[in-house]
Amino acid sequence: MSGNPLDKRYAVLGAMLIAPTVLIFCAVIIYPLVSALYLSLFTIFTPTLRGNFIGLGNYAYLANSPEFWRSLWNTLLWTVCTLTLQIVFGVAAALMLHQNIVFRSLARSLILFPYFVSTVVAVLVWRWLFNDLYGVMNHLMLMAGLIKMPLDWLGSMPNAMISIILVGAWKYFPFVVIAVLARLQTIPDALYEAAKIDGAGAWSRFVDITLPQLRDVLVVVVLLRAIWDFKEFDLIYLLTGGGPIIATQTLPLMVYKDAFGLNDMGRASAVAVSMMLVMLSFMVLYLKLAGRGERESQR
Amino acid sequence: MADVSFQKVRKAFGSAVAVKSLDLAIGSGEFVSLLGPSGCGKTTTLRMLAGLEFPTEGEIRIGDRVVNAVPPGQRDIAMVFQSYAPYPHMSVAENIAYPLKKRGVGRAERDAKVASVAATLQLGALLDRKPRQLSGGQQQRVALGRALVRDPKVFLLDEPLSNLDAKLRAHMRAELIELHRKLGKTFIYVTHDQLEAMTMSDRIAVMHEGDLQQFGAPMQVYEKPANLFVAGFIGSPAMNLLPGALESSGSGLAFVRQGLWLPVGAGGQAGQKVTLGVRPEDIALGSGPFVATVRIVEPTGHETIVMADIGGQSAIVRVQPDAAHVVGSEIPFAVRTSRLHAFDSVSGARLDLAFALPAS
Repeated sequence: MSGNPLDKRYAVLGAMLIAPTVLIFCAVIIYPLVSALYLSLFTIFTPTLRGNFIGLGNYAYLANSPEFWRSLWNTLLWTVCTLTLQIVFGVAAALMLHQNIVFRSLARSLILFPYFVSTVVAVLVWRWLFNDLYGVMNHLMLMAGLIKMPLDWLGSMPNAMISIILVGAWKYFPFVVIAVLARLQTIPDALYEAAKIDGAGAWSRFVDITLPQLRDVLVVVVLLRAIWDFKEFDLIYLLTGGGPIIATQTLPLMVYKDAFGLNDMGRASAVAVSMMLVMLSFMVLYLKLAGRGERESQR
Repeated sequence: MADVSFQKVRKAFGSAVAVKSLDLAIGSGEFVSLLGPSGCGKTTTLRMLAGLEFPTEGEIRIGDRVVNAVPPGQRDIAMVFQSYAPYPHMSVAENIAYPLKKRGVGRAERDAKVASVAATLQLGALLDRKPRQLSGGQQQRVALGRALVRDPKVFLLDEPLSNLDAKLRAHMRAELIELHRKLGKTFIYVTHDQLEAMTMSDRIAVMHEGDLQQFGAPMQVYEKPANLFVAGFIGSPAMNLLPGALESSGSGLAFVRQGLWLPVGAGGQAGQKVTLGVRPEDIALGSGPFVATVRIVEPTGHETIVMADIGGQSAIVRVQPDAAHVVGSEIPFAVRTSRLHAFDSVSGARLDLAFALPAS
């Protein structure tokens, strides 16, 4: 920058204009982050927010806690499974809605329905469907002769884990549909026509044209959905409450239980910080892999 | 023997008819242009031949095989798209090799063919690049390479030069002519640019509103346009079309309109509405039995275009650049009677009339 006084005035003006955003960012992101790190070094009784400094004691406790490792495993299992289903069904639905099917615009609106419904409402409906005494699922499966006895969908394993994974996939796959459909509509028809003339069948056209074109949008979708699924709380809490016992308890549920059930804000903060570290390492790895792919495709 | 033929081919999209009833036979090794304004059905015709659209009625043959129900990949054709449509995530080499890969050609043979095509099109240095790193002209070569590598019976080109700048277009035109000569394959070329059609083609199929208007060699289409549409469409500046009528005059007939009176030697009947067609280069200003008023003078360097008023209608005249014409002045002119065209004003069909200049 030159020493032009006008440049300096613009620089000051620029700093003033972004200042409010920076302040809000610090208040809502930096402060809670630092505060969580700080709290995780104490044993804190939640109602009074008082306690003693114990250094890395909370982390040492977690490292030896089977409950923590179980919750971490549950979180990873839930995230990987529900995300995979979201991507597979989301891409499939987007491809279907991209075709000239009858009632296409109606189908496009309807498919977004699960995403728009409030989680509480959706979960209440699913709990009715899953109910072991008068739920529709058991009734239909009994009628179809698939099962001889009603299943306990939410109260026993592995049914409870399968149930939350399925409901999670149902609730969030429309997000994948929206993103993928938007990208599909920008792929030029000429690419498909050129591929047809070059002798590519329907499957080849999907693998050689559609998938490479969806690559960028899928990177973003997987990243966002992975973050959101990893810290999903309400859907799991409302469906199973983490049960039976802690069989479907994920890390966000453990944070909640430690903080407000066991009144130990310090340990809850330590769980939250550990969760952040796990997520961070996955994100770094993922972005590195995606970045490498991107560089390769640009070379 | 015809390499490609259309027999009574009709294509309708719902109630909109794109191609009405097309009969066209294209010989082996010919370079044929489908020429017409946008919406004339030329691209639909090409896409039907490619297998990207299916005819509503009629038969399309490539060689002696009816291809109506043959998928595009099995028609032994290759196509170059207006947008070139290179596969964006594949390198130039992968793009060119793709049609071979889809036909199960082995790696070694593929590499050899890609190398040979790349040499023909001077793409050798770009083989590892991605399409987005190429200029329009280079992307065009990739699209051509993808077509060439297959060694198909018929090449289809859909306005391949329209996205290039004027200089590159002239250059690619020459390259395409050279390529056609070297390969000796059938080329079918869709364009709305008459210059491309005239310079490159063995024959031109002029289309308008889904109908084939005329199919012939470039000079034939220029010298003997089959109807009013072709007469007005081919040639730049366009042919002057002057409506009038045939009237009895003494022992014979004469073409009469305001400002013009031309005895007709043979053909036609009195009272017939006739449109006279005169190319801008076939009007000679300076002397003659008629009079025109100069309205606009446009020197272009190698020639000068004069817009003159002939009996209430403006006409375009091509003159030597050294001729000085004053705007607003009245000058006598003559027409080259041997090069006049006549069309029935009602049906638009060409009439074979022999004109003469009036005896002065």
